[in-house]
Amino acid sequence: MRDQDTASGITRRKFGQIAGAAGLAAAASPAMIKAAMAATPDSAEIIVGKAPGLIIHNAKLAVMETPLSMLRKYKHTPKDILYNRFHFPHEGDAAWYASTAPAPADMVKNWTVRFGGLVQRSRTLTIADLEKRPQEQRVMVLQCAGNGRSYYAAKQKVAGGQWKNGGMGCVVWEGVPLKPLLDDLKMVPSSQAHWLTAEGWDQPGTPVGSDFAKSYHLADPALDHAIVALKMNGEPIPAQNGGPVRLVIPGFYGNMHMKLLTELNFTADQSNSAFQSMGYRMPLSPVEPGEFKANDYTIYNSVPTYGQKIKSVIFSPLPEDKPKAGMVEITGVAFNDGMGKITMVEVSADGGKTWMNADIAPAESPWAWYHWSVKAKLMGGKNELMCRATDDLGRSQPMDGLTRWNPRGYEWNGVDRVEITV
Amino acid sequence: MRSAFLSFVVALAAWQASPALAQSDFVLPDGPGRNLVYGQCQTCHDLQSPIDSAGIPRDAWDAVLDNMKEYGLRITPEQRAKILDYLATYMGPKPPPKAAAAPAQPAEKTDGAQQFADVCAACHEPDAKGKKGKFPALAGNKDLFLSKDFPVKVVLYGLEGPIEVEGDKINNQMPPFDFLTDDEIAAAVNYVRSHFGNDKLAPAGFAEITPADVAAARKKAMSSAEVHALRKSLLK
Repeated sequence: MRDQDTASGITRRKFGQIAGAAGLAAAASPAMIKAAMAATPDSAEIIVGKAPGLIIHNAKLAVMETPLSMLRKYKHTPKDILYNRFHFPHEGDAAWYASTAPAPADMVKNWTVRFGGLVQRSRTLTIADLEKRPQEQRVMVLQCAGNGRSYYAAKQKVAGGQWKNGGMGCVVWEGVPLKPLLDDLKMVPSSQAHWLTAEGWDQPGTPVGSDFAKSYHLADPALDHAIVALKMNGEPIPAQNGGPVRLVIPGFYGNMHMKLLTELNFTADQSNSAFQSMGYRMPLSPVEPGEFKANDYTIYNSVPTYGQKIKSVIFSPLPEDKPKAGMVEITGVAFNDGMGKITMVEVSADGGKTWMNADIAPAESPWAWYHWSVKAKLMGGKNELMCRATDDLGRSQPMDGLTRWNPRGYEWNGVDRVEITV
Repeated sequence: MRSAFLSFVVALAAWQASPALAQSDFVLPDGPGRNLVYGQCQTCHDLQSPIDSAGIPRDAWDAVLDNMKEYGLRITPEQRAKILDYLATYMGPKPPPKAAAAPAQPAEKTDGAQQFADVCAACHEPDAKGKKGKFPALAGNKDLFLSKDFPVKVVLYGLEGPIEVEGDKINNQMPPFDFLTDDEIAAAVNYVRSHFGNDKLAPAGFAEITPADVAAARKKAMSSAEVHALRKSLLK
């Protein structure tokens, strides 16, 4: 059993360093001992500038999620607590991007983004070129496609980071709208080009590993709102979040927004990268463990994790708040792919026997968190809180998220459940 | 409460300092094939990934190994079979209960070439040429002869911090491999020192490492940062 603020496993090496330096228990303060005993490296040790206390899923790839008690404090998630995930180790040449600071100035100065592929004229733009163009903002939920993976274990545990609900945040991106930019570059794409394929600066950990690339169908309406982003939350994109430049497609899951953008090509087909053709895909129809496995994905039987499935999460009360019996305000957020407006969030405090409609504050944008709240009565003993969002396109969360079980554990959006014992 | 906690800490620290026990950041359950998992599964992510995935069934581990191939895992079919058996058994839905005493490892091969292939090659590459900027080459690496037992300490305790090897600048973290036996470490170090052209680098009269040398090096536990400091002092 794991509590919110510590990760599994003890770093004996770390403990040995601290205990050795402190002359064992006699001189070590309880706080130091607690820190040493607590975890694999703390988030603040993994990424320069990160807050301590995030839940670590993999230190070498800086995979970490935000405890909800931290996340719920902010309308726009600050970079020091925002969840994180790299696909390749942040070591050697790549160590620079394990930081909340912007990319190093000399890298930014020399950075280029090549727009090309099946076009008559390719173009290469610098950051300065992009900065000169009109910028627009997109307030958006950034969420890992694997957020909530741990909940699939009730059917069959899925390999990978055992995310709870903290692999998400709401952030403000700012950059150059993509479609007008592509038009303005006058590259004359071929009629054979049906896809846009993006690549970034980062490279695999081994010489033979698949590079990370993403492809988007040119006709996808989500591209109408995409931006070539230069800023996050009002400042140059932190290196950890893909600075100096990231392709951002509001409404899509996190992996789709290409970090450290270096190339955007018009292509006839989607990329052969394992991260496009095999990873980050969902089966087209429900599958059972053992019948459809993690390497059974093809481009014909599955679809990439594009638009985020409608979801709502309870922010308070959480068990650690230790609420008392009586009236309490239940609060949380809801969001979707931005294609339709969220019109209803139903909340239960009694395990689904009775439901109330929460008040929903107007959202900052179609892709941002909708903040909702409702007053309810907590009884003595166990109270199971639940929430379920619905939008005006008729999409809602499954009462049982396990119906969307898939062998890579993506896109969890089952009705959220929090058990509060009073 | 506090004194009970502190005495637990003291006990843990004493256990920690004991030379016979593992200092590895992540401890995998003992069993055949465990060393292969340590050696092959830390190149791109740390062991929290398989550890947090424990409990999935055999066919899911099989799919994981296929998946890892896409990301660059290169192992022989024999290694794959051993790794799959280990994962499916010790990190499957019904892992065997821990033995009361640490089970005697079946006489693990002390074949240095085998050790290298199983445990070192995933990062340092089968031709020992490493990966520029990430994992130092062992071929032509003069660090191997900085002192009689320097490479033994690197294997036991890891090495972290900026180094330069034949012009290649690296700032990385090698994890500890202290779970290997004295025999295995001696065989691996001797193998690397005598292959990949390194035999030409050996100073005259450089003796082979014995298992007793490894046992002696275990007596004084070091952190991987201290190994880095030792390297720096030996280079002067």
